[in-house]
Amino acid sequence: MQASRARLFKEYKEVQREKAVDPDIQLVCDDSNIFKWTALIKGPTETPYEGGVFQLAFSVPEQYPLQPPQVRFLTKIFHPNVHFKTGEICLDILKNAWSPAWTLQSVCRAIIALMAHPEPDSPLNCDSGNLLRSGDIRGFQSMARMYTRLAASPKKG
Amino acid sequence: MDQGEAKSNENHSSSSSSSSGDSNPCPICLGPFLQESYLDSCFHKFCYNCILQWTKVVAGKHSRSPSSLKCPLCKTENFSIIFGYDGSSFQRQYVNVNVNFEHSSFFSKAHKYRLKCYYTEPGILSNIVNVSRYWKSHKYLQPNRWLLSWLRREIQALLQEEDVEIIVHHILGVVDSFLKRGDQFHQMKTPEAKQGEFKTLVSNAARPFLAARTERFVNELEMFLASSFNIQAYDEVYMQQLGWNIPRVIGEAADAERGEHEPVIPYLYIFYDDSDEAD
Repeated sequence: MQASRARLFKEYKEVQREKAVDPDIQLVCDDSNIFKWTALIKGPTETPYEGGVFQLAFSVPEQYPLQPPQVRFLTKIFHPNVHFKTGEICLDILKNAWSPAWTLQSVCRAIIALMAHPEPDSPLNCDSGNLLRSGDIRGFQSMARMYTRLAASPKKG
Repeated sequence: MDQGEAKSNENHSSSSSSSSGDSNPCPICLGPFLQESYLDSCFHKFCYNCILQWTKVVAGKHSRSPSSLKCPLCKTENFSIIFGYDGSSFQRQYVNVNVNFEHSSFFSKAHKYRLKCYYTEPGILSNIVNVSRYWKSHKYLQPNRWLLSWLRREIQALLQEEDVEIIVHHILGVVDSFLKRGDQFHQMKTPEAKQGEFKTLVSNAARPFLAARTERFVNELEMFLASSFNIQAYDEVYMQQLGWNIPRVIGEAADAERGEHEPVIPYLYIFYDDSDEAD
């Protein structure tokens, strides 16, 4: 408990210090609970998510960093490895391949990489996975782009 | 080792960071290294406690405890943790021993007790055993027929390794050849000189295997020889002195729960402590 708190506090300081280093990620700690974080990540360029801003919710366990944080998308996203309703993410480093050397910041980077490189063979969103697996890249991209516009685009005006 | 050097080279840590070493922290706790430890293949550095806790988590995921650990940084397979490096020697802890330690067949309660003794203050038996008389009165000329068994158990306990015959016979050979040197030699030297030479010889023989524990081992060996107890009597007196009332450690089958007279044991037994490490 104490160890996870201390480590999260270190990450918090690191995030404050390196705010400008990665402009695609904005990590914010809950005001009253250091175990709850949210992140805003920019959709990677040359993907159907480009131009979108996606919100992630982190729930950090007390055993962190020996146990991985739980992360889900709060913003709706059409992606084979993200559950369309719950936002749950299928990513090995959040499960078996977790290593305590990962940080919340690097998890965000891994999720951005996953957005750019979907794994259609282990889908949480079957419709999305099937489009990719059947080779309908255009179909997949237009669906994903539509949801990026509908759900992830900053409101104008 | 060169933490100080590394720190001064990197200068980007903010002025607000109070703890030194922030620029090069332990990858697990992100704090400064406490008891630097290295994995044996990739040599990545962690706090001893951090990497030990992670080893335990990894072991918990497997039904059979693994013999290797993937480095959290580079995924290289490693078999042991190197720690306690003091410039000339180090200690090593195997990944599988950590976890399987209590279940491995050769490692009895008696081994465990001997290992624990090395975490206590030295000189436990000095009230009872008169070491200087041992050297003065030439008691060492009487053969000690328990020495082989005592050495085997001692070295098995220290190395947590079952097959230690080569080391045992090496050390035994050095001890025997010293004690059985011709009368001429023994009459020429003072007891103190003999004692000193004995310690030097045995230390040199044992150090490649026992590293940082060599000095203590040689003292324990001398104490055992000087006591002229058999192993059982020696154990009983030893534990009595320590105030550990663990009856019949030698009865390996009787696996009584650990007594309440546990000494403070820094390294191995940290594992038994399930609560979060010291705050």
